[in-house]
Amino acid sequence: MGQFLQFAINGLMSGAIYALIAVGIVSVYKATKVVNFAHGYLIMFGAYFYFTFAVLLPGASWAPGWLPSWQPEWLVAMKADLPMFSPMGAVLDWVSNLPRILLGIFGALLANALLGRVVERVLMRPLMGQSIFAMIMVTVGLISILSGASSLIWTADAAFVPHIAPNTPVRFEAFGTTIFLFGADLVNMIIALILFGGIVAFVRYTKGGVAIRATAEDQSTAYSMGISVPKVFSRAWVLACTTGAIAGAILATRNGVSPTLGLFGFSVLAIVLMGGLDSYVGVFLAAMAVGVLEAMTQWQLGGEWAEIVPYVTVLVVLLIRPHGLFGSKEVERI
Amino acid sequence: MINGNLKSTYGADERVLDNAYKQAFVYGSFMALAALAMFANDYVILIACKMGILLVAVVGINILTGYTGLVSLGHGAFVAIGAYSVTALHNLFTGIIPEPVMVFVVVPIAVAFTALIGVIVGLPSLRVKGLYLAVATLAASFIVIFLVEHDSLAPWTGGVVGINTPAPNILGWQLDSKREMFILISVVAIVAILAAQNLVRTRVGRAFIAIRDRDYSAEILGISLLKYKLTSFALSAAYCGLAGVLLAYFFARILPEQFELDLSLELVAALIVGGMGRTMGPVFGVILIVLVPELIKVIASGFTGGNTASARYAAPLQEIVFGALLIFFLLKEPLGINHIVDRNLRALNRWPFARG
Repeated sequence: MGQFLQFAINGLMSGAIYALIAVGIVSVYKATKVVNFAHGYLIMFGAYFYFTFAVLLPGASWAPGWLPSWQPEWLVAMKADLPMFSPMGAVLDWVSNLPRILLGIFGALLANALLGRVVERVLMRPLMGQSIFAMIMVTVGLISILSGASSLIWTADAAFVPHIAPNTPVRFEAFGTTIFLFGADLVNMIIALILFGGIVAFVRYTKGGVAIRATAEDQSTAYSMGISVPKVFSRAWVLACTTGAIAGAILATRNGVSPTLGLFGFSVLAIVLMGGLDSYVGVFLAAMAVGVLEAMTQWQLGGEWAEIVPYVTVLVVLLIRPHGLFGSKEVERI
Repeated sequence: MINGNLKSTYGADERVLDNAYKQAFVYGSFMALAALAMFANDYVILIACKMGILLVAVVGINILTGYTGLVSLGHGAFVAIGAYSVTALHNLFTGIIPEPVMVFVVVPIAVAFTALIGVIVGLPSLRVKGLYLAVATLAASFIVIFLVEHDSLAPWTGGVVGINTPAPNILGWQLDSKREMFILISVVAIVAILAAQNLVRTRVGRAFIAIRDRDYSAEILGISLLKYKLTSFALSAAYCGLAGVLLAYFFARILPEQFELDLSLELVAALIVGGMGRTMGPVFGVILIVLVPELIKVIASGFTGGNTASARYAAPLQEIVFGALLIFFLLKEPLGINHIVDRNLRALNRWPFARG
């Protein structure tokens, strides 16, 4: 039972990250009716931007000394009289990394937002009103461009990046076994959940969110009611890319930065379809369910089987409920 | 529309090559192929073989996407199934079936097996379409590649490290050189195109086109969606399986990573670039999709002079240009190269009285 709890918590933590990535795909779909196959590669760019701003830039010779490692006197004094491997030590390490973490996150956010705008303006806007097939295939073409560009720009892979939060181990007892978690993972989960909730609230309650929903309902009516549909489009893409940047940064701290991050997007795409393309609730539940299922598979069958869990589940769900668990059914007229 | 296209018999009207341009083009290409087989150097033969193998698969995708209107992003998996099953069958039957007739036993089994998997993968197509189907096929292809790489199937597939493939022997003719393989591949490719072209003139092909144009309307007209969508999946999977068989015979060794997402995307991209739902679309598309990256490689190596440090830029550049080609055609010429060719032929035909 204790083991079960451990794996369930692990699953919920990775499920939260899935949900954070999925929210980008859903937002773009809701506003523009485009399913972004390249979202995983946008996330990869977010991860590489975080790597650039948090590791490469502070490591440059002209960077100020406090940027890569901040050592004010009180910090050095506190560190000096700490025992080895104490939880406090991890927090202090994090504090001295804080400048470059902040630089990394803000740099990644800005750079990815810019990337999103460019993609929307250059590739997606000309396709407004074209067939769904053409739009999907354009995002498929974007996959090749992004993955080629990333390996052209960044050569190093699987590099270490600083954790966003202090990585103190957390232990507690449950059902007679010790549950062991990393602090950074917990904070990542909380960040992901807050962002997810924030975006859902944004779409529900703010003016910009109402514009997105109106556009989703009917583009031409929204246009005639004075909503600038192109602006809604670019806002949705920027939203997707910025959440993608955070997700990329989190993934980079978990698994390192590498081109394989792009493939992650496909399993999230499967999760999105499973939950229903236009339902935040459904996608959230599907992300959590897949996260837990993956962890359980890892526990029972071994790590290698875990990678196909999203694909198997999406096939099963699509066979039973073609529009996902909570997706709205399209009505077709002949 | 091409003028001067007057027919005096029904027979002439029903021919596949129903005008002089088509005849000239097709017979010209036959001669070009023969010339290639006789005079081309090994590098050109290698590229041509790659094109031929890809062509067979793209013709299969054309049946599914171009004629039936079902999008698949996972057909690379069928190529994998064809390649691996023919290799496994060869290893299984060695010593049981004599070498010269081996091909005639194992290739049909491998192709039929791929078609069967195609039917299974196609099952979701009855309930979902468009984007959902694209993701379902993508998911299926990830699962297939996972199984190919998995340890429990490694005795047959060789696992992650790949497996050596046999050289085919057709009634005593051992095809062990690339040039001999080129002859086999071109014959198979020509037969494949001809079969696909004739397929769309039959009842089945017309049913496919009706489903593409509006599947519910087609069902109301009495076309069984179950039967024809699955037939379409089976046929396209069989074509891809055949391409996989050729690939296994052509290369000395196959690796699972050859069949991953890149291949699936390449197949769809070749179809879009060439022109969907047209007989010659796959041909033009494959030529461009294979040739352009090769040209980049040649030009890049010319610039750098074989410098290994800068050679690493060639592969990402190829990838970027591949994506750019796909996007360019989607934005600017959604009907593909076939449409450009049509336009120019029409202009030529009407010259000097009208243009285009």
